Amino acid sequence: MRSREAGLRARYAALIRAAWLTDLQYRAAIAIWLVLGVAQPLITLAVWWAVAGGGEVGGYGQADFARYFFALMLVDQLTLAWDVWYIDRWIREGELNFRLARPLDPIHEAIADNIAYKMKTGTLVLVVWAGIALLWPAARLEVGPGRFALAVLAIVLAAAIRFVTGYVNGLLAFWTTRATAIAELHFGISLFLAGRIAPLSLLPPAVAGVAGVLWFPYMIAFPVEVLTGAVTTAPELLRGFGWQCFWLATWVGVYRLVWTRGLRRYGAVGG
Amino acid sequence: MLRAFWSANLAEELAYRANLAASVLGTVFWMGAAVLTAGVFFRQTAELGGWGFWEVVALLGVFNAVAGVVEALLRPNIGRLVQHVRDGTMDLILAKPLDPQVHVSFRRVVIWKGTDILLGLGLAGYALVRAGTVPSATSVLAFSLTLAAALAIVYAVWLALMTLSFWFVAVENLEILFDSVYEAARFPVTAYPRAVRFVLVYLLPIAWITTVPASALTGRAGMGTAALALVVAAAALVATRLLWNVALRRYTSAGG
Repeated sequence: MRSREAGLRARYAALIRAAWLTDLQYRAAIAIWLVLGVAQPLITLAVWWAVAGGGEVGGYGQADFARYFFALMLVDQLTLAWDVWYIDRWIREGELNFRLARPLDPIHEAIADNIAYKMKTGTLVLVVWAGIALLWPAARLEVGPGRFALAVLAIVLAAAIRFVTGYVNGLLAFWTTRATAIAELHFGISLFLAGRIAPLSLLPPAVAGVAGVLWFPYMIAFPVEVLTGAVTTAPELLRGFGWQCFWLATWVGVYRLVWTRGLRRYGAVGG
Repeated sequence: MLRAFWSANLAEELAYRANLAASVLGTVFWMGAAVLTAGVFFRQTAELGGWGFWEVVALLGVFNAVAGVVEALLRPNIGRLVQHVRDGTMDLILAKPLDPQVHVSFRRVVIWKGTDILLGLGLAGYALVRAGTVPSATSVLAFSLTLAAALAIVYAVWLALMTLSFWFVAVENLEILFDSVYEAARFPVTAYPRAVRFVLVYLLPIAWITTVPASALTGRAGMGTAALALVVAAAALVATRLLWNVALRRYTSAGG
């Protein structure tokens, strides 16, 4: 009996160790995605930091740039959407059929997946971000409860816009094999118009103007500026939130249109 | 033996001409975005780390050319090492007469990514013209040597990174680490704050991958730097070969 218990314990220990190792490697994979996510903003910040030197550039000093880009990294991680990649795959590789047979619309699976991932990584991101803010005063944000609440709202709306635009983009796979290429194009444009390369006020005014009436800045730049306190006055806030709501509603409308049309075509082509 | 592999590849790849067109368009778009990005910085400053706009564009050309080599030769081969280890095909590779490192590294070539290399070099050439710099014969030689060294170093970095697959078999996205750090190669290292510069020269060899060849091309660096670059490249190749052997020994002794 003694040796049987010992054998059981040994096997259990081995199972736990294996599970822990797999979990560790899974976490390593998530950490690697996080590194990719912060690489571009960090590098961009480094260059702006050097350009600003001891003075300022377009009203932004080194500390301002640090605040902007650290807020950007946080907002980016919290608004992340990758649905375009697997929606495209679902459609092209026939993984949509069994999902259509379910009572619940497939979009809910996508939303749940998005939120679940962020719940897992959100704590890690916030802890790392808080740690850096502790060690580096330049990255700190002075956020009162009022501004905090507004920032949360802006981030949630931004996350929704990024998700829906990604979903619609993925649905283009009903018509084209290049849906992911369009996604790359969208990301390329957002580098400029969403404020990832520089705060929008540092772009040529015409470009910033065009950006302001499109959905791009409301995915990243607007929530970032609410967080950093660059946007504080009531008219600015109203304008920003107004555009966020407008574009979210518009894209949800586009989604409905594209989904019904796409399903019809999918069914017709023997999907 | 490699020639046999590659001619079969070529036939496959050329059949997908639509892929070629899409690939070229994509590269032109991203190169354009990179040049525009530089433009955003140059709205606020006359130089980045002492480099003028067209010098930075020349560096972006080098960045793209090296990225082309990564997509054509590195990612499709050594980038798949994790899969080999997981599927067990690594054992088949080890049983073959060809040196496993060569087999794993150069089996496939994604030939239409070669256009990225040409486009990158083309952009660098165009930037030189706009900068008004005509590279001397020594500059061209120094550029060729530093570029070769850069490619060797990139290969060594990929090999070292992928060797981690032998230990971290469940980590599917090791190659993404390279992409993250490679982003720093878009700018001359002098454009970064001093602490970052130190890291990029001595710890993560980013400086040797784009800044050094671009410096040779624009005449900022000469044969002395080229010689140093070759030494660094040789050291990197030797070090990663040793790491590879250690990993392989551990893999085979574990009854793999």
